[in-house]
Amino acid sequence: MFRLFSKNMHHWRTSSSKNQTKATQNRSPVYISKNLEGNLQILREALGQSSDVVIRDMKINSNSNVDAAVIYIDGLIDRDLLNRDILQPLMFNLQLIKDNVSQNHSSPIDFIKSSVLTVGQITETENIDGVISGVLSGSIAILAEGVTQALLIDAKGWEARSIAEPTNEVSIRGPKDSFTETLRTNTALLRRKIRDPRLTFQSLQIGERSKTDISVAYIKGVTPDNLIAEINQRLKRIDTDAILDVGYIEQFIEDSPVSLFPTVGTSERPDVVAAKILEGRAAIFVDGSPMALTMPFLFIEGFQNPEDYYARPFFASFIRWVRLVGFVLSIYLPGIFVSLKAFHPELFPTQLLVSVAAGREGLPFPVVLEALLMLVLFEVLREAGLRMPRSLGQAVSIVGALVIGQSAVSAGLVGAPMVIVIAATAIASFLVVPYADVGALLRLIMTVVAGFLGLFGMVVVQLEILSYMASLRSLGVPYLSPVAPLNIRGLLDTFMRAPLWAMDSRPAFLESPDMKRQSPGQMPHAPRNKLNKRESQ
Amino acid sequence: MKRGQRFKIYMVILLIIIPVFLSGCWDSKELNKLSIVSGLGWDIDPDTGEVTLTYQSIIPNEIKSSSSGSGGGEQKGGNPLRTIQLDQDTGSSSYDVLNRYTQHGSRIPFYQHTQVYVFGKDGVQRGIYPFLDTQARNPVARPNVLMVVSEKKASDILGIQDGMENIQAFGMASEIKLSATFTKYPAVTVLEFQKRLMSQTTAPIAPMVGIFEETGPEGKKTQKIRITGTAVFKGDKMIGQLNERESSGLLWGINKIKIGFVMLPEASLEIVTAKSKIVPELQGDQIKITIEIDEESNLIEYKGHQDMTSDILQELEKDQAKEIESQVMAAVEKSFSLDADVFGFGEAVHRKYKKEWQDLKPRWDEIYPDIEVVVKVKTHLNEIGDINKALIKD
Repeated sequence: MFRLFSKNMHHWRTSSSKNQTKATQNRSPVYISKNLEGNLQILREALGQSSDVVIRDMKINSNSNVDAAVIYIDGLIDRDLLNRDILQPLMFNLQLIKDNVSQNHSSPIDFIKSSVLTVGQITETENIDGVISGVLSGSIAILAEGVTQALLIDAKGWEARSIAEPTNEVSIRGPKDSFTETLRTNTALLRRKIRDPRLTFQSLQIGERSKTDISVAYIKGVTPDNLIAEINQRLKRIDTDAILDVGYIEQFIEDSPVSLFPTVGTSERPDVVAAKILEGRAAIFVDGSPMALTMPFLFIEGFQNPEDYYARPFFASFIRWVRLVGFVLSIYLPGIFVSLKAFHPELFPTQLLVSVAAGREGLPFPVVLEALLMLVLFEVLREAGLRMPRSLGQAVSIVGALVIGQSAVSAGLVGAPMVIVIAATAIASFLVVPYADVGALLRLIMTVVAGFLGLFGMVVVQLEILSYMASLRSLGVPYLSPVAPLNIRGLLDTFMRAPLWAMDSRPAFLESPDMKRQSPGQMPHAPRNKLNKRESQ
Repeated sequence: MKRGQRFKIYMVILLIIIPVFLSGCWDSKELNKLSIVSGLGWDIDPDTGEVTLTYQSIIPNEIKSSSSGSGGGEQKGGNPLRTIQLDQDTGSSSYDVLNRYTQHGSRIPFYQHTQVYVFGKDGVQRGIYPFLDTQARNPVARPNVLMVVSEKKASDILGIQDGMENIQAFGMASEIKLSATFTKYPAVTVLEFQKRLMSQTTAPIAPMVGIFEETGPEGKKTQKIRITGTAVFKGDKMIGQLNERESSGLLWGINKIKIGFVMLPEASLEIVTAKSKIVPELQGDQIKITIEIDEESNLIEYKGHQDMTSDILQELEKDQAKEIESQVMAAVEKSFSLDADVFGFGEAVHRKYKKEWQDLKPRWDEIYPDIEVVVKVKTHLNEIGDINKALIKD
């Protein structure tokens, strides 16, 4: 089966890359001619009869009126900017400027570019394709009669969601901004956190039809070069028609596509992404997605919360343990309960056994079925609660709580202890949000295994999962680092969160070329003398 | 994919599947198909050796209704809650009995949570070898079950509903453990019994329970269980018993003192810590055993109308030492008269004099009553309480 699968995949890959090369060969660049009407004709054909494409004819008010046209897509550009800084100077003020400016320009285009248009970013292009892609990404193109160049003025000004509080990664302390759907806003958010000139955003476009802007962010000299090269290589391999979310990129570049565990991290918080970049990772932004990918992603990162670093270390370490234990419980608790009930009743404390046995009296199903029923019911409720139109959500939760919590027990379908176990599991599973989905699947696997083989089966399956996790890599970094392979200094930020002044170097397993994060020995201490005494001296 | 790689994948799948089947026995058992045995009574016919087993099993349904009901200990009709069920069978051996159980039982007996084994006195005097054999042989048997010898038949004891626990065997187990905590009677598990049996010179012991009738405040007579003494075994046969004072002395001697009280005519003392050690000494053919006891206590009751002075305290310490010594000596005397080494003197000698032991061991029964035993008690009174002056003076 595996063989068949990989063969197909291989076939599919090669054939699609062949198609791609063919397509690019067929399309030869079309240059802008001196004939304005001809150029506009080509553009009209290319952009179709779409109603949002605006081609505005005008005359440039020069010595002799020159025919020109402004092309843009309505909604993508800033209209104020178009009227004030482009149309007005070109149509009214050109002559005025020309009189005052005593410079000789090689071409009228150069003159307009350097002296007339008071906008920030202007590029020139000589081929029609450049005009089209510029216009589609929010530029205003100016073409003129008798000129073989077009000016592309960057005037992006579409409606966008403003920066809001993070909705998925909530924290009490710490910054409260989160990424939006606009790539530039996101990169700006990151730039505001890291003003290092070596912070680099490397841009590329992916998507045959969507032409989505992708930006790879890293700090030169902190993120290893080979890591950047590898990410670039993986990104360049993508050949698909649209990238609608970072999730698309994630699935195309992850190390273990058939693994339950994620090997690429996602975050909606600029501070988290900044921290990861500063540790020697790279981030990938996708235009249109309020999330950033970070790579390499290790298992322990799921348990690290931004709050850990903003709060003082003691509680942060404790909470990290709570998360670890909660994650373990959320996977194993139903399984343990099932196997104790069905295989090892001797392991219950005696008094507990009596009450559990009392709860078990007269129940129709074997305990495994009972557990699976409740687990599936919980997943159904969760998914329904998530996808329901918000106005219906309340109805779902009331019905769910009643059905699961009370009626199932009083109807004698499910034992009361089982409801407690499933409820505890459900709550624990949301302690570690990045692994909530992994946990749900593992929990089902563990429960089924426990129902057939008891604790023994759970141990065997657990060993297999663990050895599988140890074999995973994320961009070459072992998934279970720094625990396996062991890295003692790395443990400072694993099962505990060491004080910030104790974590002097970046995590060694990321192999950053610049290991030093801060100078050592910064543990604050009170002055030897009394403060007032020293002041008086 | 190459052949080698294919082989590798098959190997991995094999490695995943094989351990599941290599595990030997496993079996799923649903809780509502088990009958949880809380206490097991063993009556062995003194003449024929037939075994009668009394199963005290928990009825979970009743416990469920008692916890969800009004919460009272009694049901509507005024009858006590039926949380336990007794089943009885007789057969030539314990497994013969078990075999017969299936003729009338609806569920498989589940012994892993059994709290006590109760032995009828008559049977114990004949010997409990059938029990000891199945216990040692059967891997499922738990070694931490308490053993109790009943003065009457075991089946009588297991039927009595008393105490606060709604499962009688659990209550009995707690009763025994409590008495051991307060240094009254030993709590003996199967494991400890077996350990004593293995040493071949040490005599196994077990607490004894009896039934006594109590007249309640409304003149209603109820039957209750009370711990009455310590049964002393020789091999698998019970040969005698220790009374309350001797049992306590035994616990002092074998370092099983936890908390408890030392009663003197003029005062009561609470034990804080206590340790004891058996030190053997071989002088030619004569064995001398010194039992060293180190004890600390608090004064909790004083009957004399005097202020506390250091003289009185010293007096109390001395009296306390004397009292402990006399308790221990009582137990020693009784063990001599029974010729049963309940203290494990033999093992102490064995540990210290390995070579000589080979010679002593076969004759231990003859030597034992001639051992010289000295009890050395060191006591210390820690606290005298919140008052050091008598409330009413003479």
